[in-house]
Amino acid sequence: MRSLTRTLALLFLALPLVGQQTAPAPAKAPAKPAAQKSVTPAKPGAAMPAPGASPAIALRGGRLLTITHGVIENGVIVMENGKITAVGAAAAVSIPKNARVIDVKGMTVYPGLIDSRTQLGLTEIEAVEMSNDLVEASEEIMPHMRVEDAFHAESELIPVTRMNGITNAVVTASARDTLPGQMSFIQLAGRDRDEMLLLRSFAMPLNFTGAQRRRDAGSRFPSTRMGLATQLRQAFIDAQDYAQKWTEFEKKSAEPVKDDKDSKDSKDKDKDKDKGKPAAPKRDLKFEALAPYLQGKKPVVLTAEESSDLKVALSLAREFNLKVILGEVTYATNMLDEIAATKLPVIVGNIFDTPKNGTRYDSVYTLPAELAKRGVKIAFASYDSHNSRNLPYEAGYAVAFGLPYEEALKALTINPAEIWGVADQLGSLDVGKTANVVVANGDPLDVKTDVKQVFIAGREIPMTSRQTQLRDAYSQR
Amino acid sequence: MLHGKALFSRVGLLGVCGLALATNALAQMSQKPAPVDTVIKNGTILTVSHGTIENGSILIRNGKIAEVGKTVNAPPNARVIDATGKFVMPGIIDAHSHSALDGDVNEATSPVVPHMMMVDALDYTDKNIYHALAGGTTTSLLLHGSANMIGGQAVVIKHKFGLDRDELLFPNAPRSIKFASGENPKRVYGSRSQLPSTRMGNFTVQRAALQEAKEYLRDWDAYDEKVKKADKDAKPPKKDLKLEALADVLRGKVFVQIHCYRADEFLTEIAMAKEFGYKLRAFHHGLEVYKVADKVAAAGVGLATFSDWWGYKVEAWDAIPWNAVMSMRKGVKVAIKSDSNDFNRRLNQEAAKAIRYGGATEEEALKMITLNPAWIIGVDDRVGSIDVGKDADITIWDKHPLSSYARVEKSIIDGDVYFDSSLPGYGLPLWKGGPMSGGGGFGSDDEERR
Repeated sequence: MRSLTRTLALLFLALPLVGQQTAPAPAKAPAKPAAQKSVTPAKPGAAMPAPGASPAIALRGGRLLTITHGVIENGVIVMENGKITAVGAAAAVSIPKNARVIDVKGMTVYPGLIDSRTQLGLTEIEAVEMSNDLVEASEEIMPHMRVEDAFHAESELIPVTRMNGITNAVVTASARDTLPGQMSFIQLAGRDRDEMLLLRSFAMPLNFTGAQRRRDAGSRFPSTRMGLATQLRQAFIDAQDYAQKWTEFEKKSAEPVKDDKDSKDSKDKDKDKDKGKPAAPKRDLKFEALAPYLQGKKPVVLTAEESSDLKVALSLAREFNLKVILGEVTYATNMLDEIAATKLPVIVGNIFDTPKNGTRYDSVYTLPAELAKRGVKIAFASYDSHNSRNLPYEAGYAVAFGLPYEEALKALTINPAEIWGVADQLGSLDVGKTANVVVANGDPLDVKTDVKQVFIAGREIPMTSRQTQLRDAYSQR
Repeated sequence: MLHGKALFSRVGLLGVCGLALATNALAQMSQKPAPVDTVIKNGTILTVSHGTIENGSILIRNGKIAEVGKTVNAPPNARVIDATGKFVMPGIIDAHSHSALDGDVNEATSPVVPHMMMVDALDYTDKNIYHALAGGTTTSLLLHGSANMIGGQAVVIKHKFGLDRDELLFPNAPRSIKFASGENPKRVYGSRSQLPSTRMGNFTVQRAALQEAKEYLRDWDAYDEKVKKADKDAKPPKKDLKLEALADVLRGKVFVQIHCYRADEFLTEIAMAKEFGYKLRAFHHGLEVYKVADKVAAAGVGLATFSDWWGYKVEAWDAIPWNAVMSMRKGVKVAIKSDSNDFNRRLNQEAAKAIRYGGATEEEALKMITLNPAWIIGVDDRVGSIDVGKDADITIWDKHPLSSYARVEKSIIDGDVYFDSSLPGYGLPLWKGGPMSGGGGFGSDDEERR
């Protein structure tokens, strides 16, 4: 028993990034953080063609929104083995002989869009409680909860969403808890969840919006912001103490055992072999989960709406040297310069949130433009599940209210890819990246535009969902 | 009912003096300035009823549209609104809203409350009236919620944010009553172990209430008959506000607006209306109308629906974004509505989805937020299109309103500019200051949706 505990403890200390993987892990869980970073789909199953063997497809004649190197009219993009292998003007790209060529003349081609905060895979029918795995409301501090443990890869919501050109998303528990658990980065197609969960427990939301107060019937601690902040601070301190204990234990364990003068008898010596060695501290999954965040190795998505809350949350983050991505800041319009000065990226709040009393009707609509103007790197998020498909129109509306068009596109593609650490794989039409490519009959941000075809990891995704099936069934009556 | 009548006559007395150019009119109520005509010049006019007029003009006189065309005969002193490069369309009409009611959406203490009057809960200072106005919405039907099989009676408002309450009321708008079926009444009363907790229970409650009203009506008709024959022994039955309201439904004096999701429920509601002899005006939400659209069309019932909301509860699980267009193609009059403090700020975007999902034409899409909801409310003879004689409820946009990038520049109601985005501050030229109330929230009767 003891040696097993010790082995686990050592593993934890050696690989603090993946503390949670010392627990019974899913069979296909990546063994090392390096593997987690990869967004190449895991080994293929029998049902789908292997990414490694996916046939070459060339999209010819479209208007390519590359994101990173401008717009290419009459362009060609080649996808092979799940990757983009060529991008350029039709005249400049030679299409491989074995490639299937699809004419996309008149179409707009762009990289798959990324929704930076959704609950896809955690809910099916909102009002049916048994179909929800949105948050563990029994406790406020749940960093050891992992979205990947609940992610429902076969959700009917996923085909509905990807048909609108959203190919990747950050799945997050709902914001009812201060620390509701760690996020997953998903791809919206794959044979099962192992293939769809590209990154597991790679970041953690820290919510400080007031919605975490326990003020329901039978109100209990923490029922105020003071309570929430104090509880959080205590949790961080406890986790630091815990890590310290393990460090000390590890240090002592490494020291050679000193001879015990009182037991020279060989018989006793054997019996007291472990005497003098330190006892391993009791393991605590919650504190282990916090370790990589307190070490600044994984980012915390610090989410607040009001400037007063943002100040508190930011000071807590500084106190514990957290690596921060900001979330929402919807009503913090009086501290936009201060936000810009932090140089932190922002996952902007849903711009369709209702403006506060005493503000102009467009005070929330203009938030993305105001942030971008100050040089803040922004990304859009739906903060939704069923309506995640409408993410591009949020960006479009932000353009109507002053956000430059190019910035809006970036905030759905390369910006979130950079923020989430996957820009080497996603977020633009560039050679070597995962072939998540969307073909639409117009501007991706316009409501009227129809997405005609989505490719995920180079595979042609069937453009069907439960909704198209109902449409087709009842169209024939 | 009497209540409503009295209010409307008061509106008549106060009046909104047509074009009394706001500032002065309010400051110098004693000297009523002579009304001045307004001309909107040189815009792309989306009339909704008769196509698009490029470089067209609209003459507004006494709050009404006096002329529309390539050219109009504007008097030299007319106030000019230059719409060069702009798009002009009728004010947007929302056929399903619970905004500006300060949360008093459901009197959920009994499943039959036809005598509740939403006007009694109207918070005319609610900021959402302004937010929606700034998104081009000029008329809304504020309905009772869906907790009850038979809810209260709606109030129709024009979004004249900043004026007194009675000036927001749409004059002489037809009365509408809210019915509801399905999960909401089941949940509300079932959770208290009361009737109804099933769909059988729902319709039993509805049928029983209508039966009671039928007998009440019979008693009153008998009394009226006796009075007509000068019968001195005629004794009036007891007046009962609840049954009186339902009797008016049976008399055909009130539009019935039904919150209803499932295909089987549409058919039950149509059958019950036939059984008791009243007319249904529209199904609201109606996310499955596409399944039985021919029957809904044949019954002459309209549809006020979401563009693409789905999955928030079991009865919304079969929702598809093609519902609006599929139903329209079968002859149903379809409106896209908000049911929300968010969507009533951008119904133009929601209507544009009808182009994407099902290939509606631009005019068909625009009808879904103008003429069709006007018909559902029963005011299509007065608003909903840019036609001579109609109220001058007009919105001016910087781009085509069905574009994702379009913004409202001006919202005009009865010829007065109530919202102007070029103004600093709130952009409300007629707002006199004072409270701006209202919380966040969704303003919806399906509170479980978010």
